[in-house]
Amino acid sequence: MKSSPAMLALVTDAFGGRGGIAQYNRDFLGALAETRALSSITVLPRLAPDPPVLQPTIEQAPARRGRLAYSLGAVQRALAQSVDFVFCGHIFMAPLAALIARLKAAKLIIQTHGIEAWPRPSRMQREAVESADLLLCVSRYTRASVLSWAAIAPERVMVLPNTFKETFTPTNGLRPQTSPANGKKHTLLTVARMDPSQQYKGQDRVISALPFVFSHGYDVEYIVVGEGDDRRRLELLAREVGVSEHVHFLGGVDLKVLRDVYRKADLFVMPSTGEGFGIAFLEAMVSGVPTLGLSVAGTIDALADGELGTIVPEAELPAAIVRLLATPKPDPLALATATRARFGRPQFAAGVRAVLNRLIEAS
Amino acid sequence: MVSADGRSVVVFNGEIYNYPQIRAELEGDGVRFRTTSDTEALLHLYERDGAEMVHRLRGMFAFAIWDEKQRRLFLARDPYGIKPLYTANDGWTFRFASQVKALLAGGNISRDPEPAGLVGFHLFGSVPEPFSLYREIRSLPAGHTQWIDGTGPKEPRPYSNVAAALAEGTATPVPKDDLCERVRAGVLDSVRAHLLADVEVGIFLSAGVDSGALLGLMRDAGQKDIRAITLVFSEFQGTLEDEAPLAARVCEYYGARHIVRSVSEKEFRDDLPAILEAMDQPSIDGVNSWFVSKAAKEAGLKVAISGLGGDELLGGYPSFLDLPRWRHWFGPLAAVPGLGLAARKVIGGVAPGLSRERPKLLGVLEHSGTWAGTYLLRRGLFLPNELSTVMDAEIVREGLRRLKPLPRLAASLVPDPGSDAARVCVLESTQYMRNQLLRDADWVGMAHSLEIRVPLVDFVLLRTLAPVISALGAGSGKAALAKAPVKALPNDVVNRAKTGFNVPTGNWISAAVGGSEPRVRPSAAKGLISRRWSRAVLKGMVPAKAAQQVQAA
Repeated sequence: MKSSPAMLALVTDAFGGRGGIAQYNRDFLGALAETRALSSITVLPRLAPDPPVLQPTIEQAPARRGRLAYSLGAVQRALAQSVDFVFCGHIFMAPLAALIARLKAAKLIIQTHGIEAWPRPSRMQREAVESADLLLCVSRYTRASVLSWAAIAPERVMVLPNTFKETFTPTNGLRPQTSPANGKKHTLLTVARMDPSQQYKGQDRVISALPFVFSHGYDVEYIVVGEGDDRRRLELLAREVGVSEHVHFLGGVDLKVLRDVYRKADLFVMPSTGEGFGIAFLEAMVSGVPTLGLSVAGTIDALADGELGTIVPEAELPAAIVRLLATPKPDPLALATATRARFGRPQFAAGVRAVLNRLIEAS
Repeated sequence: MVSADGRSVVVFNGEIYNYPQIRAELEGDGVRFRTTSDTEALLHLYERDGAEMVHRLRGMFAFAIWDEKQRRLFLARDPYGIKPLYTANDGWTFRFASQVKALLAGGNISRDPEPAGLVGFHLFGSVPEPFSLYREIRSLPAGHTQWIDGTGPKEPRPYSNVAAALAEGTATPVPKDDLCERVRAGVLDSVRAHLLADVEVGIFLSAGVDSGALLGLMRDAGQKDIRAITLVFSEFQGTLEDEAPLAARVCEYYGARHIVRSVSEKEFRDDLPAILEAMDQPSIDGVNSWFVSKAAKEAGLKVAISGLGGDELLGGYPSFLDLPRWRHWFGPLAAVPGLGLAARKVIGGVAPGLSRERPKLLGVLEHSGTWAGTYLLRRGLFLPNELSTVMDAEIVREGLRRLKPLPRLAASLVPDPGSDAARVCVLESTQYMRNQLLRDADWVGMAHSLEIRVPLVDFVLLRTLAPVISALGAGSGKAALAKAPVKALPNDVVNRAKTGFNVPTGNWISAAVGGSEPRVRPSAAKGLISRRWSRAVLKGMVPAKAAQQVQAA
């Protein structure tokens, strides 16, 4: 193979896209570009609602939403240019990516995120995954799930955890907020989508736990950040358990507001049962906020087996909230530093370099 | 052990038999040894040759070397797979150990079942590598090395292969007259190498050719005082299966001290929980090795020679005759698409008794079209189409898909060994012997603090004999082995029907697992008892989730 390989990236969205997967693709492809080991990265998105901001050596084609148009366009593009590596950003696109990789005799790398890769996929998707030279998973749980249905050498399935935006820091230069004084209101925070089809994020579990927290003498307010139609269900629940005046739905907020919301929180709690990884945990911890999650799926990785945050079984959630509110808040700067050391951008970039080395070795 | 400069650290399980030569060579290069251990030789050899070091080693080994300078780990396993090595990788942490149990005991390892391991056990009576019963735990395949660095484990790489050694031998044939001399020189050299020890080396002695010849060759190699252990069973007294009288004669003949150890059904029943407890992965064998190892331990032995591997190397199994015959007789019919399946359905329909008594008979036309299929037919505990009678259909489907039993068997025959005898030798050596006999020898040996050495499972010997293996006729390999000692084995040993280390396990197991056998011919009963024994062994060994899916026997 020539010294500088070219990559074709098939993604749902990346540059100019919104949401976690777009962010991950930007992080991954950006870090890949920074290695300067690739001659070009051509990104083919299906969505790009915002104007893309691209790095050198990355080129992004206009978005093509329609499945057929996208597929034809991708094959056409692949045939017209040199392709050594095919990056597939979503398992749904794996059959197309595998086809292109075969046509171009290119190495195939498939990215999996979370719930989309947990259940056994269609036969075509499974076979595409099994043909991959490298499969990337954001967490150990996702990796184990993929290996439960894919007959692929386990060495080809690597974990590359998410990273976080540099925006989030514990302070704005002033002394970080410490625990509230006795009698002061404590702030619980969840930052997550409220998608009615994905009711696993756990805001409902926190709302249901609030009466228990109050009964232990803690005055709390629960801030819920995120967009989605499931909010109505959660509002009703808050009313049902009699805590609605303590629960505040902020909806979607911009980055600057989000940064401040994190900093003001006393405890970030996201008792989700379906996290592929849980970037919001990293954002909270790097903002200096202690975190609480369930010992389920990718949350365990984001909280580093309990080293960075607290993980508990679902039944222990209310008691854990009370326990953490009673515990002095850890040093925000130390927490942020430890989180950075584990999941910071330099660590992510090193992971991407390792992935690239694997691909080059396999060539 | 840590190297003098702290650059490398080694963890080693096994024996390097050519350690004196390696040491002399390294000292010639200016290397200074601090100990008299073969473990230290691995460190120096690694520092000199890196991964290529494995080509210099003669012995049974599984080791790991941590390279502090390059921050990476090197794993290697001997070419025949005598010593086990298991690994587990959850994506963050890489773990390795000599036993599956050790990895589980270390914690933080998923116990989710591996359908390929479960299905493989039911097909072969042992779990075929690289699988285990657990998805997260795999075996480093025999004759492979593996690198693990900051990016995780790389895919294991083969460095040696039984089929290739035989293919090379077949391509360079020698005159038939050379057979006896090659066997004599090759096995004597291997025995001599395997006697390298700081402690007394004993031997497991049956009334067969393999162990008898090894005993004679131990004498020829210069060992004066030899203790030989033979098992006797009251059930067999006065029958042809009683090995003690003939073994006693062989001992006397070679001037060895004979230890005769009696085993009763009561002892078998008493030991059964301990046997199942010590069994690292399920196996339908191992009981005989258990008792002979126990006897060796009682005698105070730490090292014992075993004739294991003689049948695989020198064409001792009936399979060396059966497989080529079945291929010849049924292969052309099996090549007709759909015929085998149709025949099984029709015969199963009109003669259900036959399918119950001789379930494998119905598979002949389905499987004898290829060497892999014929071998599965010959050695299989259950055939693929029978699995759904004992396991959840989904596990069977997924297990077969992941295990790919026939392509996997076929892959072990690449490159083509070049002759029927060599092909059967490869299949028996890389499947039955590797996954069952050697693995059993390891866990029973470990359970009794005994090192079992197998001079007939030696890659140097295999290369020496490879040019004559293709031309082995019925019985000629064993006849040559019998003549290998300076004082050849007595004729009555050679002529006696081969029974090996047999135990009356059929009856004992049948009684132990309860219930009565269906009324079938004795020859068929053995296979059916094995099947029921496999169910008993598996009970309590499989991961909880899978246990629900594997129906009771």
